Amino acid sequence: MQTFLQIIANGLMLGGLFAIVAVGLTLIFGIVKVVNFAHGEFLMVGMYATYLLTTGLGVHPYATAIAVVPILFVLGALTQRFLIQPLMNARDEHIQIFATVGLSTALINLALLLFGADIANTPNYQLRSQVEIGPVRLLQGQLWVFLAAILLVTGLQLFLKRTNIGRAIRATAQNRAAARLMGINDRFVYILTFGIGAACVGLGSALIAPLYPSSPTIGTYFVLIAFVVVVLGGLGSIPGAFFGALLIGLVDALSGFYIGSDLREAVVFGIFLVILILKPSGLFGTRMSLSHVSP
Amino acid sequence: MTETATRPATALERTNRQTLGWAALGLLLAALLVVPIVVGDEFVYHIFITICLFAALSTAWNIVGGYAGQLSLGHAIFYGIGAYAGVILVNMGVSPWFGMFVGAGVAVVAAVVVSYPCFRLHGPFFALATIAFLEVFRVLALHFRDLTGGATGLMIPLKIGWEWMVFRERLPALLIAFGMLLVCLAVAWAIRSRRLGFQLVATRERESAARAAGVATVRVRLIAVSVSAALSAMVGTFHAMYLTYIEPASMFSLQLSIQIAMFALIGGIGTIWGPLLGAVLLVPITEFARGALGAEAIGLHGFVYGLVLMLVVLFMPDGIMGVLSRFSGARKAQDGGDEGHIAAASPSRTPPEIGKPVLKVENLEKHFGGLHVTNDVSFTLREGEILGLIGPNGAGKTTLFNMISGFLAPDGGSVSVLGRDGTWHSPSDPGEYAALGVGRTFQIVQPFAAMSVEENIMVGAFHRFHAVADAREAARQTAHRMGLGRYLEDEASSLTIGGLKRLEVARVMAMEPRVLLLDEVMAGINRADVRRAVDLMLSIRETGVSIIAIEHVMQAVMALSDRVIVLNSGEIIAEGDPKEVVRDPQVIEAYLGKEFADA
Amino acid sequence: MLEVRDVHSGYGSTVILQDVSLRVDEGEVVTIVGANGAGKTTTLRTISGLVTPVAGSVHFDGEEISKLQPHEVVDRGITLIPEGRQLFPDMSVRENLMMGAYRRAARSAQAQTLEEVLDLFPRLGERLEQHASSLSGGEQQMVAIARGMMARPRLLMFDEPSLGLAPIIVEQVFDVISKVARTGTTVLIVEQNVFHTLKAADRGYVLENGEMVLDDAADALLRNDHVRQAYLGI
Repeated sequence: MQTFLQIIANGLMLGGLFAIVAVGLTLIFGIVKVVNFAHGEFLMVGMYATYLLTTGLGVHPYATAIAVVPILFVLGALTQRFLIQPLMNARDEHIQIFATVGLSTALINLALLLFGADIANTPNYQLRSQVEIGPVRLLQGQLWVFLAAILLVTGLQLFLKRTNIGRAIRATAQNRAAARLMGINDRFVYILTFGIGAACVGLGSALIAPLYPSSPTIGTYFVLIAFVVVVLGGLGSIPGAFFGALLIGLVDALSGFYIGSDLREAVVFGIFLVILILKPSGLFGTRMSLSHVSP
Repeated sequence: MTETATRPATALERTNRQTLGWAALGLLLAALLVVPIVVGDEFVYHIFITICLFAALSTAWNIVGGYAGQLSLGHAIFYGIGAYAGVILVNMGVSPWFGMFVGAGVAVVAAVVVSYPCFRLHGPFFALATIAFLEVFRVLALHFRDLTGGATGLMIPLKIGWEWMVFRERLPALLIAFGMLLVCLAVAWAIRSRRLGFQLVATRERESAARAAGVATVRVRLIAVSVSAALSAMVGTFHAMYLTYIEPASMFSLQLSIQIAMFALIGGIGTIWGPLLGAVLLVPITEFARGALGAEAIGLHGFVYGLVLMLVVLFMPDGIMGVLSRFSGARKAQDGGDEGHIAAASPSRTPPEIGKPVLKVENLEKHFGGLHVTNDVSFTLREGEILGLIGPNGAGKTTLFNMISGFLAPDGGSVSVLGRDGTWHSPSDPGEYAALGVGRTFQIVQPFAAMSVEENIMVGAFHRFHAVADAREAARQTAHRMGLGRYLEDEASSLTIGGLKRLEVARVMAMEPRVLLLDEVMAGINRADVRRAVDLMLSIRETGVSIIAIEHVMQAVMALSDRVIVLNSGEIIAEGDPKEVVRDPQVIEAYLGKEFADA
Repeated sequence: MLEVRDVHSGYGSTVILQDVSLRVDEGEVVTIVGANGAGKTTTLRTISGLVTPVAGSVHFDGEEISKLQPHEVVDRGITLIPEGRQLFPDMSVRENLMMGAYRRAARSAQAQTLEEVLDLFPRLGERLEQHASSLSGGEQQMVAIARGMMARPRLLMFDEPSLGLAPIIVEQVFDVISKVARTGTTVLIVEQNVFHTLKAADRGYVLENGEMVLDDAADALLRNDHVRQAYLGI
């Protein structure tokens, strides 16, 4: 029983981590309608930025978020402005896929050039120390990640529902042509959204860096899981992504224990394929999503 | 019109350029073989072998990713299967020449199993699914250690000689790699220039239009995927022998899959020679970075790849082939508003006898959510009859068309079509309708944008003909009849809206349908041409074809129809002789407008 | 107030409008009629900045607006109510109306405009919190018109306002358009429903195959032989 509770707790913590990576991805997908294959590399960039700032300035990794979040926002905004926007009306979807795949390839290899293939450990400032909560033991950092994920999801949801610009973002997603006719500058909305999506992952990287070593390919692992989460939660749905992430976290933890740690990924991707093929609107349907989009 | 005067010269020039293109290609291929032999350097040999291998893989990928438009980022699955099949069998004492066919067989099975459920996914979702499958294969390869050696990988025993595909010197390896490249290019060329290629591209461009033209879209894609997987696996087998060591991370690698696709994109996705050009240009960068700069430059070539990829999609999305064809002056329609005209047909003024029923619609029902879009619709179409279908926008006319061409399943009721064998059939998908001779057009034109006008019509003609020459001849005849003769070689996307409407009709006509469903084909046609279009339809009818036409141009409806059905809010509110129907108070109320009666 | 001069326009290499000119004066109700695919929608899209003309120009109050972005055109006081309603389906009616007053100039007067608009459309007052997608076609068209008015435009353009609506609703829509015109807003309507529009309009243009073939007073067009034969089937 004790083991089981521990596994569940681990799964939930992992889920929080996946959520914080997936939220930006689903936001970008829901609004800009682009699958950002470079999202994982945004995380990688953020983690290296956290690493450099933490070691360079000797500050707490969480404090670096003040710089990392804006850096990632700018990276996302630039990506939209100079890579995606020129391709918004491209004849084939594959053009957009190749664009972000190209960005992903370039960023991974740039990191390899700059930092080499070795891992970089961000000082963890006791964040890897364990805390006991009832019968389970968790890492301090995991709890902060989980808390941050909840706050981020709630905050984003409020921003989209309650603010004028948030409404404009949703309007653009629901009907771009009509939004333009209302006087909404769709290009600005897309740049802003891409920036926010990347900024989310920037916040995530400041939180994740003390827990996981940074490496050029760290993003690939997380982003593949994030894709699973996004599809599971319903494309473009922010609460969906959160609950999808918790579910995948649990599946990961449970299958790792009961089926074998080397087959974890096969189980996760197996579920992903089944959902993608049988119920592409996601487990939670389209009701929660920002727009009616299905593949 | 100087345009007409210069055309013969342009055609001649084009032939010259084509010859030039073939010569350049021959030189390029020869260079792949001759350069390393002449230079004789080990490292140069290695680069050229790698070029041949990647060009072959990319050419195979292009059959699926380019022609069929299914953007696979998991093609390393098939390459990896080939590699593992080869190495495992070699370790059991079986020659890789045999092993590569076993690998190809397994890859075909895997390809069908992986692709079939994924065909309903489009664009990024298909790509994501293939990545997920790739990850599953990699994890499984790591897991089943007994078979694959797990993370430690597999070595091949050092048995040297042609029988084992392992050599001390480099020349035989180059010959095999070059041979594989030639095979892949030949297969790709054969597919692209035959019926299958046309059908694949049509399916990629507009799936529903392709289905309406009788293309078995799932079947042609499965063939493409199978061929592509088999070729990739065979290359994989050889590459494993060349590397002498394999492990899951490098065999089932996402990076490799991306590279394969990237060469095709950079060279020109969907073209026959693009993947070869992409590999020739990019592989040397990798290998030089690795060989010359060594460990210091780790990541450099990948960085360059990524950068090149972004620049290509931004500035030359059609790749190198796109740039080349621009130079060779592919001509676009020069539209001065001078459209070709529909060939004047002179139907005899006495309409032929209207024959027996050919299509029966009984109590058809359809709901969309709470909306009752088709409500108990029944009618019969007879041989040689022209039935006009009118009604306000949103009355459910196009929905009805979708149900009597197999694109939409009715919630209730039935559609039966008289087969050529004289018995009644109840077809259920567009392919079956097409096979029974029901052809349709789409209200929103659906041209295959990447194809020429002639090729668009050929896709319809392939419904009747297997050989390209026959289909081309039939397409030309149809084109001239539809007034598209001048535009045969133009890109379909360069036509005006009126031209596109006629192309839509021409594509269906090339199928020689027995029942023709026309959805607002008069819209946007020159006023002068409406009369000709009406005559053309009358002459089509004289050959025994039955027509149902949705039309808003009342002038045409009145002149064409033997009978008119008026649809409003999903129901038939009037039916009968056109002159009587327009006087029906209900029809005036719902469609023509109250003032119509006063006027 | 609005002047379209010799505009050529289209999408990609497809040319739709050829040498189209038209004029709308302050306070007028003007209509463009023509068959499906004649280029009516493209004309409105060109005026509103969704399509940039290949040649020719669009002037509003003497200012050239043909190179402006759609949101800049809205700022000048031109709003297009698009074909097929185009509401934001997952938003409430209230949110839809708020989006109509998105531009800064309109936003400050939002509360007051909403009151005025609800006076014109009393039925919408009861439906403010409903999802736009749950309304009937006629109600959706009313929301679309109300949303357009929320921007307090000086020129309101309608693209096929009667499309897909039952005849009885069509009457109501045209009633509303007349009311809008009486508030002093200038109106430009594009329609296939030739009779209704010409009855409601002061002047009309006939567009065929991307070219203006006729322009005259609305009642004169109603009596025109060509119009009667081509569009009324008489």
